[in-house]
Amino acid sequence: MRKFLTAVKDGIIKGLKTVLMLLKILIPIYLLVVLIKYSPVMPWLQDVAAPVMKIFRLPPEAAVPVVTGLFSDEYGVVAALGGFNFSMAAITTIAMIALAAHSLPVEAAVAQKIGLPAGVMVLLRVGTAVITGILVGWLGGVFL
Amino acid sequence: MSESWNFILNEMLHGSLNTVFNLLKVLIPLMVIIQLLIVYNVLEKISTRLEFLGKPMGITKNAMFPLLVGVFMGVTYGAGTLIELNKQKPLGKRDFLLIGIFMVLCHGIIEAAFLFGVAGASVVIVVVVRLLIAFVITCICARLPYFRRMDN
Repeated sequence: MRKFLTAVKDGIIKGLKTVLMLLKILIPIYLLVVLIKYSPVMPWLQDVAAPVMKIFRLPPEAAVPVVTGLFSDEYGVVAALGGFNFSMAAITTIAMIALAAHSLPVEAAVAQKIGLPAGVMVLLRVGTAVITGILVGWLGGVFL
Repeated sequence: MSESWNFILNEMLHGSLNTVFNLLKVLIPLMVIIQLLIVYNVLEKISTRLEFLGKPMGITKNAMFPLLVGVFMGVTYGAGTLIELNKQKPLGKRDFLLIGIFMVLCHGIIEAAFLFGVAGASVVIVVVVRLLIAFVITCICARLPYFRRMDN
């Protein structure tokens, strides 16, 4: 029982520390996304993204969390998601795309370091992101 | 700007507080679960039972444990376990690359489930479809001549 309680306590402390660390990055991302949303850039961005997002059955503004995810991480995606009102199906599709392809620059560098070629990794991840995006976009359209 | 600054600042304040709250909801249960998994050696025990899943993916039983750690707890823990195990009993190159592929495609499922569950996604799809896709792609890779020729 003591072992259990220590584990729970350590977990809570670790969780709080991680929250503090992440907030320093996530609040700026969120604020930037809200700014972009109401700026004149947004209508232009929607026009550009609409045909691509259509493949995944996503609304054009879904490009904002997806692109955020390519360069930041999953938490960045959730921060960006917070700026919009998406349906459950759309959030699920965005989640699947982002989970397959996120933090590409950082993780490609890490892959290279442990001996996996960075180019292949990026291709594998983006390829998987597109396939899962289409699949889950369709699943979401049918079941959610 | 398509809304008044007052409106935008108001949304920023509310949204920021919401982000803090959501992070607490995700990270505290996640870290408690990870800590419990470590303390009770849960994944080490499960890994021997899941050996049969490694076979179609071309992964030997020794590589199953670090793979499970990466898939459930995240890449950082997975890589740490991999490095520790490699010191005691080095993994073959094929094992190494194949679990690398699986882990790149699907890692930290507990974290992903909490994070996107709180964000409003379907947890079942996020967990199950991801595991299935990583499994299928790893199985396909294991059958490629490039990996078959590789010694373990």
